[in-house]
Amino acid sequence: MTVSEELYRLNGLEHYYHRKPAIRIDQLVIGRNQIIGLMGPNGSGKSTLLKLLAFVEKPSRGEIRFKGKPTEPFSRSIRSRVTLLTQTPYLMKRSVFDNIAYALKIRSNNHRPDDDVHQAMAWVGLSVSEFSQRRWHELSGGEAQRVALAARLVLKPEVLLLDEPTASVDANSARLIRKASLRARKEWGTTLVIATHDWQWLFEMCDDVLHLHRGRIFGTGLKNIISGSWQPVQNGLWEQVLEDNQRVVVTQPPSLDSVAVLDPGALQVMASSADKPAIGTCLDGVIARLTLEKQTGSIVATVTVANINLKARLSSTRVDRCRLYPGRKVTLYYDPRSIQWG
Amino acid sequence: MDFIITGFIKAIQLLITGDPETWSAVSATVTVSSYSIGASLLIGIPAGFFLGQFEFKGKRQIRIVVDTLLALPTVLIGLLVYAFISNRGPLGQMGILFTLPGIAVGQTILALPIVIALTATAVESMDRLLRITLMSLGAGRRQLVLSSLWEVRFGILAAAVTAYGRVMTEVGISMMVGGNIKWHTRTITTAIALETNKGSFATGVALGLVLLLIAFAVNISVSFLRKRT
Repeated sequence: MTVSEELYRLNGLEHYYHRKPAIRIDQLVIGRNQIIGLMGPNGSGKSTLLKLLAFVEKPSRGEIRFKGKPTEPFSRSIRSRVTLLTQTPYLMKRSVFDNIAYALKIRSNNHRPDDDVHQAMAWVGLSVSEFSQRRWHELSGGEAQRVALAARLVLKPEVLLLDEPTASVDANSARLIRKASLRARKEWGTTLVIATHDWQWLFEMCDDVLHLHRGRIFGTGLKNIISGSWQPVQNGLWEQVLEDNQRVVVTQPPSLDSVAVLDPGALQVMASSADKPAIGTCLDGVIARLTLEKQTGSIVATVTVANINLKARLSSTRVDRCRLYPGRKVTLYYDPRSIQWG
Repeated sequence: MDFIITGFIKAIQLLITGDPETWSAVSATVTVSSYSIGASLLIGIPAGFFLGQFEFKGKRQIRIVVDTLLALPTVLIGLLVYAFISNRGPLGQMGILFTLPGIAVGQTILALPIVIALTATAVESMDRLLRITLMSLGAGRRQLVLSSLWEVRFGILAAAVTAYGRVMTEVGISMMVGGNIKWHTRTITTAIALETNKGSFATGVALGLVLLLIAFAVNISVSFLRKRT
């Protein structure tokens, strides 16, 4: 990536809550006009990273450079340009129109915000005549989230940070939120950073996906992250016992609680145990979903094994030949030597 | 029992005929309470916001002091203000003893802890997402404070109404600092006390009714404001 395309550069970033580390990132660069996905379990630091990128919190250590310059909360260079939509929207105690127009009014360069507000409402599928004068407490969860998004879109932001925007909304609202966010990128070149568990959103739309675990980034792209407590077995192998007594077998971990990273390409999905390869460990599971991966055109199968979800990358031919579909019981095979440690 | 009924009838007569002595007390009360509530809101809202919004060393101790001052007796405030502004006191040269501004100083001291404590409580109960939302929408530091105050406006209104009620109905400060001087510093409450001592129940009841009417008007206005916003 060239310097001119660089939007964010994070150096030695650390952030603590009550002396407990929430984020530790040595270096991260985010380019302009990209869609970046953030993945990771609850408490992995996704929301904290978004707050830091939105400059609503100051990192405990390290610096964030925005467009090459060290930037802090309230800096003029980011005000009205970088905006964050939280998972639970907060609407101010005013009408829908006034909520959306707020950002334009405080920017004080737009005394007639009607057209911009109406356009933003249209983008998120809110009828002006029906919703404009509604009070903040007269909206459903999905409508409130769309009003909150419209309040950000009215700014025509350079960066739109979305923290699980579709987690607690209905399917129609989720579709409208996705559509409006992508339109912002298309029309204004808005960079999107999205923390979500929505696989479709991540793998069909994102240019890159960052995996977070315990506040650290464990690489990019599609990865299986398995956090341990590992126990030694035999022949230099270690294992973790899952809820249904199946065992995830790995090579010797650096420490008992190390994080194992397994490439989805290293996992084989078998519809029948007759296809079992000579070397490897097997886990039984059920296909939870099949998703198309935007960049490779491959199919990503999410297989639920006891209390964890594992992702395997497959060709569409294989999915077709093995007649794989959500709900089908399958066996996963992998070579423990293919495990990497985070 | 008869004197109470007679009192009510006389009260209505006094109000309808516009008795000058009654209206002088009403005017003094409204004037002095407006001064004191204005001053206490001016000082109390920023102080309450600071106390509720920010974390700093000694915050808990300050909060305990403010909450304790909510129970400050009016006669004690009257005594202290009297001591400070009397001729022998450190602020004696100001010459505000037995004047309406003198009473207003005492009533401001009475109202201030109420405004600070209730504003701080309203600010503390603000959703933590408000700050993130306002900053996300491009608010600067000044806009952050003003918009946050606007969000807790109902809490601040409640603080103002409570403080106004306390100030309007106090007797101790008005009596000690104002001296209950007819046509000059006699407020509704000191007039009621005097008239009751004289046995003029009708005038006392009439003044009491006026006090209730003012409180009613203030609450109607606040209710209207809440509806408008």
